[in-house]
Amino acid sequence: MDSPILATTDLSSYLPIVLVVLMAVGFAMANIVLTMLLGPRRAGRTKGMTYEAGMNPVGTARKRFNVRFYLIAMVFLVFDVEIIFLYPWASTFANLAPGSDQSLVWLVRILFFLFTTVVAYLYGFRKGVFKFD
Amino acid sequence: MMERVTYLYPEIALFITTCIVMIVGLSRELKHRKLCAPISGLGLLAAGVLATGLVPGFHVATGAEVDPTAGQILLPNLVPYAKVLVAGVGILLLLLQAGTVDRVEEARIASGRAAFNPLRSNRAEYYAFFLFSLTGLMLCASADDLIWLFLALELTSLPTYIMVTMSTSRHSSQEAGVKYFFLGALGAAVFLYGFTLLYGATGSTNLNQIHHAIAAGGLSGLSLAGMLLALLGVCFKIAAVPMHFYTADVYQGAASSVSAFLAFVPKTAGFIAILLLASCAGWTHGAGDSLPDALRTVLWVIAALTMTVGNVLAIWQNSVKRILAYSSIAHSGYMLVGVVAGPGGGTFATSGIAAVLFYLLCYGVMNIGTFGVLACLEGRAGADGEPAEIESLDDLRGLCQRHPVLGWTMVICTLSLLGLPPLLGFFGKVPLFTSAISAGEIPLVVVLGLNSAIAAFYYLRIVGSCLLEKPETTTGIVRVTPFGSRPAGALASAAGVIVLAIFGNGFMAASEKAAAYDGGHVEKKEPRAAGVPETAPQALGPAKAEGH
Amino acid sequence: MNELYLFLLMVIPLAAAGVVALGPAGREKSVSMAAMLLCGVITLLLLLAFDWTRAATMQFEASVAWLPRLGLSLSVGVDSVALLLIALTALLGPICVACSYTAITERVRTYYAWLLVLQSAMFGVFAARDLVLFYIAFEFTLVPMYVLIALYGSTNRKKAATKFFLYTFTGSMIALAGLVYVAWHAAEMRKGWSFDIATLELAARTLPASAQGWVLAALLAGFAVKVPLFPLHTWLPLAHTEAPTAGSVILAGVLLKLGTYGIYRFAIPFAPAAFAEYAPAISAVCIVGILYGGLICWVQTDVKKLVAYSSVAHLGFCILGMAALNTAGLSGSIMYMINHGLSTGALFLLIGMIYERYHTRNMKELGGLAAKMPVWATFMVFFAMASVGLPGLNGFVSEFLCLIGAFQADGRWGAGSMGSGLWGSGGAAVPGATWGSLGPWYAGVAGVGMIVAAMYLLYMVGRVVFGPLVEPAGHGHEAHGSESHAAPGHGSESHAAPGHGSESRATTGHGSESRATTERVHGVLPADLNLREILTLAPLAVLCLGLGVYPTPVLEAINGPVQKTAYMVEDAVKPRLAGERAPAGVRPVFDLGGHEATNPDGTKPKEGEVIGQ
Repeated sequence: MDSPILATTDLSSYLPIVLVVLMAVGFAMANIVLTMLLGPRRAGRTKGMTYEAGMNPVGTARKRFNVRFYLIAMVFLVFDVEIIFLYPWASTFANLAPGSDQSLVWLVRILFFLFTTVVAYLYGFRKGVFKFD
Repeated sequence: MMERVTYLYPEIALFITTCIVMIVGLSRELKHRKLCAPISGLGLLAAGVLATGLVPGFHVATGAEVDPTAGQILLPNLVPYAKVLVAGVGILLLLLQAGTVDRVEEARIASGRAAFNPLRSNRAEYYAFFLFSLTGLMLCASADDLIWLFLALELTSLPTYIMVTMSTSRHSSQEAGVKYFFLGALGAAVFLYGFTLLYGATGSTNLNQIHHAIAAGGLSGLSLAGMLLALLGVCFKIAAVPMHFYTADVYQGAASSVSAFLAFVPKTAGFIAILLLASCAGWTHGAGDSLPDALRTVLWVIAALTMTVGNVLAIWQNSVKRILAYSSIAHSGYMLVGVVAGPGGGTFATSGIAAVLFYLLCYGVMNIGTFGVLACLEGRAGADGEPAEIESLDDLRGLCQRHPVLGWTMVICTLSLLGLPPLLGFFGKVPLFTSAISAGEIPLVVVLGLNSAIAAFYYLRIVGSCLLEKPETTTGIVRVTPFGSRPAGALASAAGVIVLAIFGNGFMAASEKAAAYDGGHVEKKEPRAAGVPETAPQALGPAKAEGH
Repeated sequence: MNELYLFLLMVIPLAAAGVVALGPAGREKSVSMAAMLLCGVITLLLLLAFDWTRAATMQFEASVAWLPRLGLSLSVGVDSVALLLIALTALLGPICVACSYTAITERVRTYYAWLLVLQSAMFGVFAARDLVLFYIAFEFTLVPMYVLIALYGSTNRKKAATKFFLYTFTGSMIALAGLVYVAWHAAEMRKGWSFDIATLELAARTLPASAQGWVLAALLAGFAVKVPLFPLHTWLPLAHTEAPTAGSVILAGVLLKLGTYGIYRFAIPFAPAAFAEYAPAISAVCIVGILYGGLICWVQTDVKKLVAYSSVAHLGFCILGMAALNTAGLSGSIMYMINHGLSTGALFLLIGMIYERYHTRNMKELGGLAAKMPVWATFMVFFAMASVGLPGLNGFVSEFLCLIGAFQADGRWGAGSMGSGLWGSGGAAVPGATWGSLGPWYAGVAGVGMIVAAMYLLYMVGRVVFGPLVEPAGHGHEAHGSESHAAPGHGSESHAAPGHGSESRATTGHGSESRATTERVHGVLPADLNLREILTLAPLAVLCLGLGVYPTPVLEAINGPVQKTAYMVEDAVKPRLAGERAPAGVRPVFDLGGHEATNPDGTKPKEGEVIGQ
């Protein structure tokens, strides 16, 4: 089967991923271990809760959240996702049309893309998502 | 090779319009807010003009120009026709949308009882969603890739869920919106699953390469399953059996202006998707091809069932909106006859594709006329200040005497939906007859004929209510809407029903051209352009293996 | 110039309808009468300009490209048969307007507008030389008639109108499938779509036998409903009883002829062999219709229903003559179309006049009107006789010809070959026998229908016209003034159509409760017919007498087309009977001794005939 889905060369190309996974796990483990070793121990009711922010994880789930949480989440998503698109553009810009006037076209295109972000920002602003009273 | 973006000029125009509308609609000044609709109209007009490709400097590329080897060469000429159609009918639809949202709120602001609060205003979003949906519809026509097609279909549908919900403040609208959303998600899941199976079977998401793979290796079990699931999912968009259950409830729950939108936009998107998928599966570049038997049989059955179910269920309804909803189902069935007929000899009279494309225009125009009249009428205002929707046949009693213009619009458009000559609906139906008979689908044509006759029963009830009954004096609460563009839209549709019947030849020629295959050539094993992944030719391998 | 006339015939009534509907009130009668008379004048001009020596040829042909992508064109043209039917339509037009002067008092403008639209559509049917144009006109007659019945009819009008619409629409949708099939066959042969009738006729000759059978079935589904033939006739009595007088006159006079004309113009030429093959079955249906219709008539108490059922019987004769497929039968059939239009139309007029005066059509409540209305009675007897087929009046000529045709169509080719061994007389030569598959048996049984017709019509005449004077209770002419506008609140139906208040007396049962709103116009009507009414009847009477005494001009006029059709069928049937296969190409067109035959293929390609790239 040489289907493109299964067409892999060898496992060595996964090495960076494995390394990253190891680093992530190692960092987490190291933190836990270090906290156990170095951290002060002050037991208390609040300290024992799962989320120190004050959310009680036990009890009815039908609690009301302020709707602004959702708005903030959405605004975050909008800008976050848009930023993600900037990276590939930035990393390939140099190769897109080197030395020609086409580079201006590519610049205008990403500016148009940013313009939509501005529109989204203006829209959110008018709708009052950044207003906290 | 031209850049792909050059065939997206109309969509870009619409998108920019959307951005402007979103800001303008939130202005503090009423006169600025009121600009939403005109700006949207201008945007649609610009998109339509750009789509013709006649604007100097904005040559809208065809698929073949974008990429001679891998662009959209299935139905290469579909794009301009579909986009001009969408822009034109979109303008008609836009006329109906006036005052659909924010009516009560604006009245409160005008009377000084409330200040403008952007959070409570829905105008900007409403027109933005309207334009987004049409953008998605235009993108459908440009699709040359399964992923693109999926995204375009979703971009078409997602705004409609919200438009349904926000169209009135009644609970039934919200119910309709939720129902529509969940069933729509189900439909999307089904055709997405179908798309993945197609990818699995052919190794590519590019429609043209899928076409190659199927042409080379036949329709394997996997690709057939994928194709069937994709069609089934798209049946939701066109409201065809067995995915039609939502139709009546949603159309009834939404405001009439939105129902008109629902009856045209997702349906057109669905039919474009079906034409593209069917092109992948069977129609090649020669005339006279038909689909693989399995697909043809399935489409045949769906077409026959859709017509019959729609028409028979419509007979039992008393709400005009429900009648029109079931009639919308039935019309999808009629159009599926054209899909079953296939490209035929390529001329307008023999090409089922051309018949479908022309019928979409006919259906769009006459359907907007009927829903438009409903949108022009309103009942007594409820507790929240929002006037009641006009629904029952009784509300239409004596409309021709009370409001002759609206009444006759309703009569003309309904008779046209019935397919009564010499109105537009008849000329939409004749090519379906001719193409299906050319393809040898005589039993299906008989089913079509009988269904048209069944349809007479409920269309006559509407006509009878408007034309023959005396106006009710006791319940004279039905008024004409204060929004003048709605009657204008309805009237324009009625005029279109007559004018297009007389001068429809240009549109027939355009749809014939749109259905033609001559724009691209599939030369096997051409050296591929640099951007195309090298895996594509290999992809034919497994499909071939599974095909045998 | 003459070509324009045919277009004018379609345009003038439409334009007049627009004027009537949108123009000032109060002018509607004069405008519509003027338009109808203008159409009459144009028809006269056409009759004069028509070259009767080439009656089988389409004349005044004109064609305007319409939707060439579909192969559509606005082509018109008439042969003598179509022209005579146009003349009948043009004659009945002014009569229908005239007979509505006092009968219609509500929504008058709408009424005349629809009447004019209907007139235009009917002209269109007969003038069309393009199949789709024909179909458009054919279908479009439904809407005006639907409105005329549903708005201006009596008690059950909505049901009647809906039934009328649904029956005929269903049939014609199936017919459309058949017609398109023929067009497709032609397109396959000629590599281009065209709906030109002459082209299709030529192409249809190469249709294989089985396909012809299906085409015939589809076309009959459409046209037989309209005729109506026996099992499909149930809409007719209802529509007739409920329709206003003018509606009934047009329905009987012209609309039913659309069905027979459709069979003559399309079913026979498009499926000649199949028509010949199934002629015995078709005639059997006709004969059942003749007898059944006659017997039903006999037990009717509603005069209008009686005449309506008599139409079923009469048109059975008409189609029987057509199924004979020989010159006599076809001539008789076409004569019958005209004669039935004249005499039955007149009968409906007469009944309408009675109804305007007495608001009843119940035979039990009417009797001996000769004493009171001698002029009316004279006309009644006259037209009843014409309808019965009294020699010397027009009905006789056509009925006789139809029967002769059926009698003669006895097959030189014998019974077996046409599959009619049971009914045909086994090839025994009857005098003057032509080929065909009917025979003396058919003619004989159908002849019984004539006797039945005489019985019910004479019974009706005897009852209503002669004998002791019976008038509806309280409806002596003198008593009328005292009761007008007596009871405003009667049944729910009547305020939907004021001016037709007492229609519920039309049928038998509920007489007493709803006599109330007498017609406002009643006062202006004299006991007997007034001049207007006499003038509406007189031309019909003159024609009935004229055609009865001296039918030769008409027979000669239609001889050409009829012979052409007869030969064409014979030509199509012969090779099949002889066991040959028809050659694949277009068969050579037979010559008709001096008459110019059909346009051979490719003489003069009309605009929009070819849909090439």
